[in-house]
Amino acid sequence: MSSPISAWSHASQERVQTILDSYPEPRSAIMPLLYIASLEHDRVSPEAMRQVAELTGVTPAQVASVASFYTMFKRDGVGEYLVSVCTSISCFLRGADDVLEVVEDATGARRGETSSDGTFTVEHVECIGSCGGAPAVQVNYELIEGVSTDNGRKLVAWLKDTKPQVVLADEMQQLFGGSRSFDWGGPEPEGAIAPVPAFGPYGSSGEGR
Amino acid sequence: MADADQVTITINGIDHVVAAGQLLITAAENIGEIIPRFCHHDKLEPVAKCRMCLVEVEGPRGKALVPSCTMPVSNGMVVDTKSAVVTKAHEGVLEFLLINHPLDCPICDKGGECPLQDQAYAHGPGESRFVEEKRTYLKPLPVSDLVLLDRERCVLCDRCVRVADDIAGDPLLVFTERGNAVQIQTFPDEPFASYFSGNTVQLCPVGALTSVDYRFKARPWDLHHVTSVSLVDTVQSTVDVQTSRGKIVRVYGVENDAVNEGWLSDKDRFVFPAIHADTRVVQPLVRNGERFDKATWGEALEIVASRLGSCKGAEVAAIGGAHNTNEDAFALGKFMRSVIGSAHIDAQIGDGLDARLAAAVTSRARLGDLDAASTILVWGPDLKEVLPVLYLRVRKATRNGATLVVVSPVATGLDSVADHVVRYRAGTGSELLRKLGAGDGDLVGARSALREGPVVALVGRTSLAEDPNLAESIAAFALSLPEAKILPLLERGNVFGALDMGLAPGLLPGRVSVDSQEGVDAIEDAWGPLPDHEGLDAMSILADLVEGDMSALVMVGSDPVSDCPDPQLARAAIEAADFVVAIDAFITDSSVLADVILPAAVWGEVDGTVTNLEGRVQRIRPSLLPAGQSRALHGLLDDIASQMGADLGTSDLAMISKEIASVAPSYAGITIDYLTFAGDPDGVVVPIEDAQQPLVYTPVDRPVPVVTGEFTLHLAASLYDAGVWLSNAAALGDLARSAYVRLHPSDAARRAITPGETIVVSGSHQLPVALDDTVSRGTLVVPHNLEETKGFVATPTVTVDTVRGEE
Repeated sequence: MSSPISAWSHASQERVQTILDSYPEPRSAIMPLLYIASLEHDRVSPEAMRQVAELTGVTPAQVASVASFYTMFKRDGVGEYLVSVCTSISCFLRGADDVLEVVEDATGARRGETSSDGTFTVEHVECIGSCGGAPAVQVNYELIEGVSTDNGRKLVAWLKDTKPQVVLADEMQQLFGGSRSFDWGGPEPEGAIAPVPAFGPYGSSGEGR
Repeated sequence: MADADQVTITINGIDHVVAAGQLLITAAENIGEIIPRFCHHDKLEPVAKCRMCLVEVEGPRGKALVPSCTMPVSNGMVVDTKSAVVTKAHEGVLEFLLINHPLDCPICDKGGECPLQDQAYAHGPGESRFVEEKRTYLKPLPVSDLVLLDRERCVLCDRCVRVADDIAGDPLLVFTERGNAVQIQTFPDEPFASYFSGNTVQLCPVGALTSVDYRFKARPWDLHHVTSVSLVDTVQSTVDVQTSRGKIVRVYGVENDAVNEGWLSDKDRFVFPAIHADTRVVQPLVRNGERFDKATWGEALEIVASRLGSCKGAEVAAIGGAHNTNEDAFALGKFMRSVIGSAHIDAQIGDGLDARLAAAVTSRARLGDLDAASTILVWGPDLKEVLPVLYLRVRKATRNGATLVVVSPVATGLDSVADHVVRYRAGTGSELLRKLGAGDGDLVGARSALREGPVVALVGRTSLAEDPNLAESIAAFALSLPEAKILPLLERGNVFGALDMGLAPGLLPGRVSVDSQEGVDAIEDAWGPLPDHEGLDAMSILADLVEGDMSALVMVGSDPVSDCPDPQLARAAIEAADFVVAIDAFITDSSVLADVILPAAVWGEVDGTVTNLEGRVQRIRPSLLPAGQSRALHGLLDDIASQMGADLGTSDLAMISKEIASVAPSYAGITIDYLTFAGDPDGVVVPIEDAQQPLVYTPVDRPVPVVTGEFTLHLAASLYDAGVWLSNAAALGDLARSAYVRLHPSDAARRAITPGETIVVSGSHQLPVALDDTVSRGTLVVPHNLEETKGFVATPTVTVDTVRGEE
């Protein structure tokens, strides 16, 4: 019987095999595979969940049960850049609501929505662990700390104008960030190439620019 | 403390000695202290989801609230189930559970029998502080063709999810949107199409899951309950048949742990609307050329009596009786043998097993033996399709650690829980059996598993196309295994009861062989002389009818044209017969060819006893009067006998019951009265210990030829086929699958057959193809008795032709 993912890119198919090989129980691979599936389908579509179910030997319903719990598995499509503004307590006290409003204004997308040209999706998120660098913003899950309203507007304009293939936390922090929560150490060479986090073999990591 | 198996616990200040190892909620229940609960259920793994069963248990750091459904009892445990703290906890939990509950009890099917309603009265705060708007969802949401979901009523107890996943093995219902909007859901476009979906409706502790059939039909307090037995298959699950205003509206499973443990298949549960279908035959019909005329019973019986009476005994045969009660089957056997004078009688239609193997195999297993088995061998039909509740029992045994060996030409429902799956090309079973016995090659694992006793072997025919002698060889092999017991697998309702009542050539009532002079003498003392010719089985009867050696046929609830391996032969036989009477409730492919149709009372209307595949006799009770002018078989046979000038003595059920208990040796003492008033409510197992059973049958390893040819046939049974009951059973009627022929991709490639393409099988049936790499090479899988495969002849090999012209 043909593979459920024969239409996927060769690179994705190889990563799927690597991931499946690294778990004793195939169903443990559901979450990492969902990231790859969402790269292939631009979202975690029903078809993507079906394919992951077949790869892991569970029913599509069981995959949906997992996928619907985690907000980072986007079942509805998102734009090219997913801008997440933290509105939890520390960021809120440091003006996150204003930053969010500025971002909505500049992107033309209300929170939870995607701009009409498909470039931006804006969302507000709960604590992303940067209370020391509040207010914090993520673009495709790459983190920028200490974002002022002014810089929020500039960040969106920069994304619009330069359309970076890869977004890098370090680069954006330098251009639009403020005070950091702590010293993050040396520069990170890899960023995100899609609204899927850039971790290791699971995600969308691309070489820096 | 009494002994190591017991502990002393204190509940509400009173000491109790209880069995160790059980859960606190169960221990409390057993001593009459019912702790409220929603998610807890005896047959499901504990999850402690609903928090309703909180009780106070004293611990090293004082009293604490713990969920009693996950807390095992321990010695010296001090429990308070009624303290102010516990009461407040219960009130709090219920107040939370009711926050989003619509409180629409007056229009809810569950209202009146609802644990949420009952426990809200008993343990709730009486008033809610929640004044905000309740959450609303689209409702009702059909999660399948049979079950509707109301997410607003749901209390998220997880029972349905556990039934679907753990019990049935169909994890199609899940929690989605976990968090604030957590809800039960199916995957889009993938409904809860489980054969066991109805069990979730029965177990749902609120009105969230309701059945399509029962919706708005009745209120619980108006229902009349009758405990009876399902006749859908030979497991004969114990059921609670619920009627309202003269109609069955609902069938629930009864927790008979010896049989079905409360579970039912959806066929058991939802087939009842067929009884009330307006397609039922409710008046005698007499053929008038191409059509049937309605007749009175007097007219019809006179015709039947005179036509049958004008034949010699050996020219009359009867096929059927497997859907009837033991009493009706007994009456049929007595009618044929003593009134007609014919030994040609068969409850099976060439689709079963050797009658002596099925009725009297040595070391016959009980269902409960599966629970204690170390190894289970299943070599027979796909249990999930044929005997679904037995499938659940085998699944349970594997959960408890039994090693499962499944042998079949194609994938079966049990493969996912099997330790060893052995496939073979259909028609080569005897070769495989030899290899399995020797533990050849890759069978070494399966062979060594079978050395771990006790072994329970479930043995039947994998398909109609398989030689029935193979099952005997398998049984003979199985009996050589350590501490082996055998459960013969037959499907049709009360076929084991029918065989026990002697509805087989070569058998007399009570598992007596016609070869036993003692047995024959005993029956002749009661009935007068038995016919002196040898009885023929159904296939020979049909052949003789075609040849003209026989002239009349009595079909009792049987449909040879649909069910026998050679439908063409069956049709030809019925058409060739001088006279055919069908005693049936429906116009079937067979009864439509009859000369007279006598309307028969069916399940739900008949009274008596039935016997399941382990030999357990249970009471089957009527909920209804027979529809229209339908009559029970024993009474109408008695009338035919009177018309023929004979006294059959079967007009009264109690009389038949007494006669069975006296002339059928293995049924000695098992009367309706005994089962009703004195017997175990779970039913009585007919003695299977070898000394008490007159006929002791040890299967022999008969030579079974290996079939060769390009394609050998596997004629696969499915739960939802084109059977007449299903077609007439409202919601179930539409569930029959479409017919696909399945074959291995490499066979398809060799013949350049592509998926979806239509092929001609055996020159008779055009069917679409699906590729399936779980099918053994060289095997063609054809679904049995679907609309598209009606009339398909079960031959060992089949031919395959393409229809796309020259290539």
